Amino acid sequence: MRQRTAVALIVVLISAACVADLALSLAASSGGGRPTSAFAVPLRMEAVLLGCVALAATWAAAHWQAAYTRDRHTLEQAREDADRLLKVIDNTSAVIYLRDSDGRYLLVNRQYEELFAIKRSDIVGLTDHDLFPAALADDFRANDLKALAHGAPIQMEEVAPHADGPHTYITVKYPIADAAGRAYAICGISTDITVLKHAEEEVRQLNTELELRVRDRTAELEASTRELDAFAYSVSHDLRAPLRAVAGFSEVLMEDYAELLDETGRGYLRRVLAATDRMGQLIDDLLGLSRASRVELTRRPADLTELSEAIVAELRAAEPDREPAVRIDVDRGLEAVGDSALLRLVLQNLVGNAWKFTAKTPDARIHIGAVERDGEHTFFVRDNGAGFDMRYRDKLFTPFQRLHTFDEFAGSGIGLAIVGRVVARHGGRVWAEGEPGTGAVFYFTLPVSSQQAVQEGTAP
Amino acid sequence: MIDAPIVLVEDRPDDVLLTRRAFARAGFDNELVVLPDGEACMTALFPENGGRSLSPALILLDINLPKIGGLDVLRRIRADERTCHLTVVMLTTSTERRDIVDSYRLGANSFVRKPVSYSEFADTVRILGSYWLAINEPCPPERGRR
Repeated sequence: MRQRTAVALIVVLISAACVADLALSLAASSGGGRPTSAFAVPLRMEAVLLGCVALAATWAAAHWQAAYTRDRHTLEQAREDADRLLKVIDNTSAVIYLRDSDGRYLLVNRQYEELFAIKRSDIVGLTDHDLFPAALADDFRANDLKALAHGAPIQMEEVAPHADGPHTYITVKYPIADAAGRAYAICGISTDITVLKHAEEEVRQLNTELELRVRDRTAELEASTRELDAFAYSVSHDLRAPLRAVAGFSEVLMEDYAELLDETGRGYLRRVLAATDRMGQLIDDLLGLSRASRVELTRRPADLTELSEAIVAELRAAEPDREPAVRIDVDRGLEAVGDSALLRLVLQNLVGNAWKFTAKTPDARIHIGAVERDGEHTFFVRDNGAGFDMRYRDKLFTPFQRLHTFDEFAGSGIGLAIVGRVVARHGGRVWAEGEPGTGAVFYFTLPVSSQQAVQEGTAP
Repeated sequence: MIDAPIVLVEDRPDDVLLTRRAFARAGFDNELVVLPDGEACMTALFPENGGRSLSPALILLDINLPKIGGLDVLRRIRADERTCHLTVVMLTTSTERRDIVDSYRLGANSFVRKPVSYSEFADTVRILGSYWLAINEPCPPERGRR
């Protein structure tokens, strides 16, 4: 750059000298002097002087021109910068404003203009006390002062009135300092979070409602548990008492007055006794069902192989001469986590059923084991006994639903309901597959760590 | 054989009749004093105005009784030095675990569930009678007092 300027200077210098020389020659010739070439060397002193003056004038003019251009350029640049910044602050959804340290507006963005219906040019010099209710303006001012005192951006929530009600803003305020470091203004950038606030409020309300509902449900559940408790207690006391009287006096009749009755009469009496027996069993089963629902669950590792074997041993002991004989296989290592007293009920009922429903099956077989079904560890009790019609599988686990007549296979229809209840309380599933005359398989799962199971387990 | 009376605290006449017959059939000729509720039992054991108190060989106590419940009666029997040595057998229809636990916790000598079947019940009564009235040596009142 400097080189180019030097070259230009030399060119200008030479041109200026030539021009001066030419001018002097012309003057001389017109004055009658000898004619001289325009490029005659050496140049005369006057020519050199004139050239220098011309050069100085040229340089001064150029310098002035440059300074003028530079100023114009800077001014335009500044205007452009300001314009660009204004575009930035005008095209945001946030409300932006600049107030001086006394709270007088210096600048607001278009969003501000639109929201509060005031022109940028009109707001300059006003304070919030001119625009908002006094209390609100005090709040805004207090936040401004806080930002000034803090010396760095601070964030707060502010509420401003609108046509459709108050809006909530999340506002960042920070002081703006001059070159000397003295804060002379506060800039505020406020983003409308009213929608978020409403959503938040809605969530809070929903949560409150949910809590209330849970509380209601829990209370209902507690009430029904108490009712069930009372019912079970009354069943165990009050329902059994008259039954005991019926059974008792029938037996006394049988013992003391049998000879006064004929065979038909004694037959009737035997039926009364059988019925009371059955009803006693029914009450016991019903109590068992209620107990399976009420008793607190204690989860521990349980050895289902051992439990099954104990149950099988009991069944064999109760009916040592069973004909036809039944072969029972219990797989090794059937391990679960659950309440062993309740799991015993499950196995007692399932194995007991298998035992019962194979009573008329020659070459009867019962198998207690476990398989993987749909990625779940699934226990099963399989038999090749009477089986059942799959059409009625939904009825299996409902209390008092029986798929066989009492004469075919005795039972209260509560056993599988107990199984269903216990498995559900462990967070597991129970289902069955069967075919009449071929046999039945009862499956159940006992998830080790299921949230549902944990909740169930801690239910009152 | 102890020939002191047997106290039966029972509000159901049917049960009274059947229990009485069971004791008679089992060969116990002890007097059977029937008290219909807990309050009557308290009055019989702790008579006011210095009346003669009952000193039974065996108390058969139902849990579900009118006025004062069986467990309350048991608690009061055990709390009083005049009666704490008495043999109390809970004879009840309840099979609730908490009733069984509470009974033993409050000091019952035994807990017997009344079965629906009478023959079973008669067996139970016979065994109860022979154990508490013939086989078992009851604690003399002086020692029970402490």
